[in-house]
Amino acid sequence: MKTRYSFGGDEHIFVEVDEQMSLEAFFKSLSMTNAVRSSAITGVIEICPSNASFQIKFNPDVITPAEMLSVLEEIEEKASHTDHNLDTRIIEIPVYYQDPWTHETLMRFRERHQDPKVTDIEYAARINGYDRVEGFIDAHSGSPWFVSMVGFVAGLPFMYQMVDRSKQIQVPKYLSPRTDTPKLTIGYGGCFSCIYSVRGAGGYQMFGITPMPIYDPNQEVSYLKDFMVFFNPGDIVKFKPIDRATYDRIVADVNAGLYEPKIRPVTFSLDDFQKDIDGTNQKLLDVLQ
Amino acid sequence: MARHQIISPLPGTFYNKPSPDQPSYKSEGDTVQVGDIVGLIEIMKTFHEVQSDAAGTIASFLVDNEEPIQAGQPLVELKL
Amino acid sequence: MTIRVTQPGLSTTVQDLGRPGYFHLGIPISGGMDRFALRAANLLVGNDEGAAVLEAVFMGPALEFTVDAIVAVTGAEMTPKVDDQLRETWTSFAVKAGQILSFEILKSGARAYIAIAGGIDVPMALGSRSTYSLGGLGGHEGRALVVDDELSLGQAGLGAKSGIHIAPKLRRSPGNPAELRMLPGLYWHRVTDVSGRNFFDDTWQVAPEADRIGYRFRGGRKLEFVDREQPFGAGSDPSNIVDGCYPYGSVQVPGGTEPIVLHRDAVSGGGYFMLGTVISADMDLIGQLQPHTATRFIEVTLEGAMKARRGRQNLLDELRASLD
Repeated sequence: MKTRYSFGGDEHIFVEVDEQMSLEAFFKSLSMTNAVRSSAITGVIEICPSNASFQIKFNPDVITPAEMLSVLEEIEEKASHTDHNLDTRIIEIPVYYQDPWTHETLMRFRERHQDPKVTDIEYAARINGYDRVEGFIDAHSGSPWFVSMVGFVAGLPFMYQMVDRSKQIQVPKYLSPRTDTPKLTIGYGGCFSCIYSVRGAGGYQMFGITPMPIYDPNQEVSYLKDFMVFFNPGDIVKFKPIDRATYDRIVADVNAGLYEPKIRPVTFSLDDFQKDIDGTNQKLLDVLQ
Repeated sequence: MARHQIISPLPGTFYNKPSPDQPSYKSEGDTVQVGDIVGLIEIMKTFHEVQSDAAGTIASFLVDNEEPIQAGQPLVELKL
Repeated sequence: MTIRVTQPGLSTTVQDLGRPGYFHLGIPISGGMDRFALRAANLLVGNDEGAAVLEAVFMGPALEFTVDAIVAVTGAEMTPKVDDQLRETWTSFAVKAGQILSFEILKSGARAYIAIAGGIDVPMALGSRSTYSLGGLGGHEGRALVVDDELSLGQAGLGAKSGIHIAPKLRRSPGNPAELRMLPGLYWHRVTDVSGRNFFDDTWQVAPEADRIGYRFRGGRKLEFVDREQPFGAGSDPSNIVDGCYPYGSVQVPGGTEPIVLHRDAVSGGGYFMLGTVISADMDLIGQLQPHTATRFIEVTLEGAMKARRGRQNLLDELRASLD
């Protein structure tokens, strides 16, 4: 990993922690942005962590670009000596895999897909070496995921699978993007899963849908009254497969203001994870039980 | 004979047919009524219908299919 | 104290100076694309510079007033009319209760800013009245205006009067060809030296799909990439990177063919490499570009960007002084 700094015009500094995606790169990016936030640097306007890089927007009339750069380099120096523990939360996200709505949508855009004869999840299962879709769903919902970035559009989480790289699911994006994706679709592109926060264009493969809203600008959803965006970078997610009846019940509960997402506080240690991936994941998942 | 020009209200790209594989809305010599669609303007990922604001016969199209246009540019000339 | 929309125009939205602070959650700053013109419109009617105004793109709305008001229109040349009587742009004028404000066909520029004394009084959302349409947030019900929408007005200041004018030398508009100054960087190293030179040598045209999220350009030569094995997680196309943050003004070139300059409603990140960033001083100019406008990208240094920034601030100071 070699950190690279580059100015994005006169108001941004872009910091690439690593060219390739890894949990280590994400962790370093997150700890550096946390350090920038807690330093409360005058002139800093936006602190945006992403997968293996991050970005700071600043007012160069208040802090010059050269000063901004040297402050970040100091923070990088300190970040390399800190322990790799993160106090965060684990969230269970119910997913209705192979639902009728994403199915209807993917059938409409078949000519934009690599393999028009099968569905997105059948294709993803096959190219990742799973004989049956059920086995693929077990893999997608079996391990926890790190929210490594929130963005693209309002409230959309990118999630990185917490498994050994050899087991990581990888899927190409559509050959050309769709003009439509149902709201709350569980998508997949490259090595990232996502949840579409709003309806709109998209190029990720579609596996299913969650009944649980994650963005509500009107703040009517009970658990989004304090803030309209559900996810934060650093959240840990566990997908839970559900059937149609459960899906319908949760939708009704959300509409009635009764649904409470399952959320538990956890501390994640990168060092423990690297020593024992399965054991660390199991401890995380146990917290949800 | 009096002439009238249909003016583009928008900048963008002009199309004389609803989609590439369909026939033109109107051809030279066709009669048009007020409100008839004579073309589309593509702007900001949406398409806007251009309606005739007069009744008459199309004397000529002043822009080609897929031609860039300015707001205020004459698109079609009518014989009233 | 309201105005009623009798014709919405193409896409007319409530905008102010935007909502910084939420880009890390994918919520962009939004606000007027041409902030210089937005500030000028507010100053002409005695508002705070950042009061909420209407931004009308390519085609003006028609608005029926239920109260007497002072109005100013800046930005694009789209002549305002009060009950069909022409008024000047960049000059405040009175509209009486019962009169209708409408607009002639666009002559030049792209976005007109319609400031009304007292400002547009929609609810604040995350500290701003700006509309972010993609997220359904802010403005009037999170969307562009439609027929029969009614907008409340704030209390006009004592300084609001008609006949205040901003001289042409204190306005800004893009030239022909438009010139956008860009600081190379970010993933500039991904393209070959020849492609980097071509990018600045070529004349590009604004694509008709350009909007508040981003301005797309076409017509220049396709970029060639430096060979590499794609990093893990980046995707297979040479223009792909591991999804990262996008600066405002950053220039991404998906597939190496058509540059897109992200603007006020930017997507906050994604998987396309970026060549560099259009400097803050020139972001306003992009908001006034019509489709098919010839555009050149001009290479600048960081020092050049800071100098241009001060130049723009000085012009704004001159404009303020001229109205005192």
